[in-house]
Amino acid sequence: MSITASRSVKISPAPGSKRAWYTRFNWLGVAGLIVILGIWEIAKRTGLMSFDFIPAPTQIFAAIGGLVQEGALQSAVLHTAGVALGGWAIAVVVGVVIGVLLGLSRTAWSWTAASIEVLRSFPSITFVPVAVLIFGFSSTMELVVVVYAATWQVLINTLEGVRGVKPGLMETAQTFQMGQMRRITAIVLPAAASKILVGLKLGLNLALILAVAAEVVGNPAGLGYGLTVEQNALQPARMFVYFISVGVLGIILNAILQLIIQVALPGITAAAERGRRS
Amino acid sequence: MSHSTETSAPTAAPVAKAERPKKLKRRGNNVPLKGLTPLVVALLLWQLLGSDDSPYFPRPSTWVTQLVDLSSSGDLWPALGATMRSLLLSLLVATIIGGILGILVGASRFLDRALGPTLEFFRATPSSAMVPIGVLLLGYTLTMKTSLTVLAAIWPILLNTRAAMREFNPTLLEVASVFKMSWARKVRTLILPNVATAILLGIRLGAPVAIIVTLLVEILTGVTGIGALLAKSQQDYNSAGTFGLLVLIGLVALLFNYCIAAIESFFTRHLPPTAA
Repeated sequence: MSITASRSVKISPAPGSKRAWYTRFNWLGVAGLIVILGIWEIAKRTGLMSFDFIPAPTQIFAAIGGLVQEGALQSAVLHTAGVALGGWAIAVVVGVVIGVLLGLSRTAWSWTAASIEVLRSFPSITFVPVAVLIFGFSSTMELVVVVYAATWQVLINTLEGVRGVKPGLMETAQTFQMGQMRRITAIVLPAAASKILVGLKLGLNLALILAVAAEVVGNPAGLGYGLTVEQNALQPARMFVYFISVGVLGIILNAILQLIIQVALPGITAAAERGRRS
Repeated sequence: MSHSTETSAPTAAPVAKAERPKKLKRRGNNVPLKGLTPLVVALLLWQLLGSDDSPYFPRPSTWVTQLVDLSSSGDLWPALGATMRSLLLSLLVATIIGGILGILVGASRFLDRALGPTLEFFRATPSSAMVPIGVLLLGYTLTMKTSLTVLAAIWPILLNTRAAMREFNPTLLEVASVFKMSWARKVRTLILPNVATAILLGIRLGAPVAIIVTLLVEILTGVTGIGALLAKSQQDYNSAGTFGLLVLIGLVALLFNYCIAAIESFFTRHLPPTAA
């Protein structure tokens, strides 16, 4: 939306661009959500929905209170968010550094690309049993799996972005006799930014998927573990609370990432938007 | 917010009209085989320096022995077959349902606004969190495995189709109405060519998630499949078997993703540049 608005601004003020946030906000979407929840509630109350293990939305809301009072929900959210974010941060550093190094050297790329291609297409979930063997049922296991999975996403996208930098830009850097470090920070990273950002986002999503998966399979902490505990305790309402928390956590983490990018790197965001359009 | 779908799929937006020739060129840029050297060297070193009975890092030759054992006991190939069957079926169902819903939601501005946040919620929810709920609702069954995989793979397909439909020019449909085209003909000649690339991209993005969820379900519940074998060898502290299965699954996934990419490029080859 923002792109179309800013584009038409130059010609004539776009009708939607200056309206207050509450008129631009998608109230219809909220209404849609409420309608769906209402249908769900009615279907459950009237017995139209025959699944015993699907709680009504009101029952789910009621279950939130209990979980918060026990403190189980907060600690689970903190654990999962911590591992996913921590693992993702490690993956970003490793992935961007290796991606830039391999992307800059044609020789290094040609001697490693096929190995990377093979290793990254291994479904990361299969590393959970291996990690359990090596690290036991622990948070270390979860972190290792998250880092492993997210690193490939960041690395692959960084590599692709750096390799896509136009040769003209590199020649310019040569003309200005830039040092290697300056060339990377001033030319390569900004030019590859849109690709790298895609890698950061995909990596964050995967980090969360794998964190929850590892908790479901083996680590006795976090939202995924909460899900399995309530599953075994046959407490569907509390299970749905954990499920919704996972979804909300995903949305919040994505929003924070988006916000940080927009605030810290406005130029790069604009470049990324342009890159996506072209 | 409306752009969040495309960010996860940078090539999804059907705006890349000028980029076409470049894209084709990049496809031809094959990865040289000598790049496999580091992997081969690492495995050789592991084989030379490792020991057969290391509890954590058994050497590669023992992986092969374990796989041969599993194969001769008749466990391996039926399990792999079960996993692949369920995976393909799920992707097919997800493509059909996701494609149809995506077209319907994307074609109507009202539905698009009304369902947008709900769809975004499901897309942002890590699919692995749905597995325990599915197990509770449907039990340890094949239906459960397939439904969960469909639920995981459907979002990229649905949201990409929706994004493509949003860019679809409604005037085309009006023209079609003037020409008194039948409903089926409109779908076949106007709508499908416009969303086909988006659907194919959705499948390519959805396939890895589908693989993750299928394997997670199998690892967790022991429902017949290669993931169940993997979990069993881990529970038996059979590390060589675990590594062997890991490599086997990885190679199958590699082949699977390669096939999907090949199918995608085969189909997009025929499409007019405007649909890219």
